[in-house]
Amino acid sequence: MHRLVRTVLVAGLVAAFSAGATAATAPADAIKYRKAVMAAMAAHVSAFVLINFGKVDQQEYLKSHANALADLGAQGKVLFPAGTDTGDTNALPLIWKEQEQEQFNKLIAQLETSSARLRDAVAANDKPGAAAAFKSLSESCKGCHDRYQKKDD
Amino acid sequence: MTAPAPGRRRWLAAFVLLLTSLEVHANLAAQIERGRYLVQAGGCLTCHTADRPDAIPLAGGRALLTPFGTFYAPNITPDPVTGIGGWTDADLGRALREGVAPDGSNYYPVFPYPAYTGIEDADVTALGAYLRSLKPTRQQAKEHDLPWYLSSRLVMMGWNFFNFSPGRFTPDRSRDAAWNRGAYLVRHLGHCGECHTPRNLLGGLDHSRDLAGNPAGPDGEKIPDLTQNQTTGIGQWSADDIAFLLETGLLPDGDFAGSSMSAVIEDNTARLTPGDRQAIATYLKALSPRLP
Repeated sequence: MHRLVRTVLVAGLVAAFSAGATAATAPADAIKYRKAVMAAMAAHVSAFVLINFGKVDQQEYLKSHANALADLGAQGKVLFPAGTDTGDTNALPLIWKEQEQEQFNKLIAQLETSSARLRDAVAANDKPGAAAAFKSLSESCKGCHDRYQKKDD
Repeated sequence: MTAPAPGRRRWLAAFVLLLTSLEVHANLAAQIERGRYLVQAGGCLTCHTADRPDAIPLAGGRALLTPFGTFYAPNITPDPVTGIGGWTDADLGRALREGVAPDGSNYYPVFPYPAYTGIEDADVTALGAYLRSLKPTRQQAKEHDLPWYLSSRLVMMGWNFFNFSPGRFTPDRSRDAAWNRGAYLVRHLGHCGECHTPRNLLGGLDHSRDLAGNPAGPDGEKIPDLTQNQTTGIGQWSADDIAFLLETGLLPDGDFAGSSMSAVIEDNTARLTPGDRQAIATYLKALSPRLP
């Protein structure tokens, strides 16, 4: 009896994991995921800035937020799959236009490289390097948002 | 009591002269320092410095794309040929507060004299002291690139008639010092309305919608509403949220301020005193919400 329950549970879990790995993602879930990752980045940026401007005295955690930003920043390239231009999203369809690919990919690459540079500079306690990397990171964020995000009137 | 011997008297006179010149010198140094601060608070750097990393501050060159053509900001270092060398405080005051050049010609209102008209005399003097203390740079600004109907600066006299009301800032005694300081910074020195207030057909500011956002801002950007409207404006922000944005460039939701504002934050508001940022926040929090 017990063994049966255990077998069924394990089978279910295995099925859930393999489903996650193989089944196509619903666009609505991909959009939800994109928003979650964006919100996580915004939260780490906020925390980073609060420490960096001396608003809170949590210097020892600056590294955690820089590391998290580098990990999340590397995900930029997978957050905008085809089919996620409509639905509950502020992403403009312009992102998926052929002529925009070069510009869009450049900004996504800048997100990844600048956040990686920020992580390394913070780890090395290189303040000017961290400041330059953070500036580049901020430019990639707002560069994308200015051009590709729907705005309220 | 006997008068000091002539030799002693001469020493005394020299000593008094020295003290006076030291005082004048200290005064000038204080004025230059104040002028440096005002140049930041006035946003002068953002337009009068070319948009490249090695640009000389205030030596001119930035192109401003507007619906009325492309303007190139002039050199305001004290070079006598290409800058403002030789200008008196009166020249500077007239330029800032009336939009008129020393030769009597009118400036285009892309130079925010309709806002600067409120600048106090003491601030004009300090700005002059600072600008004169800069190293002169010889750099000729490009000619503006304008449609035919704007090519004569005489047109601006007509424009001024409809859109420009000169006058110094007068404090509102029913409000506190922070509000009044904020009003001076927002309305005059910082000229926030130049981007955040929509324009009428003539390109003048629509003061019935002060700071209510501009769908057609500079460089084609959509400029946000700064009024207390809960949905379109910043009604849900605290005064601290506003001061924090002006210091760090970060919005309450963790996103960064848009591109033209990031230059304003870097050149201007991040360099203000915390008290001045709080004053701006106090003034903005007291605005009425924009009507739909």
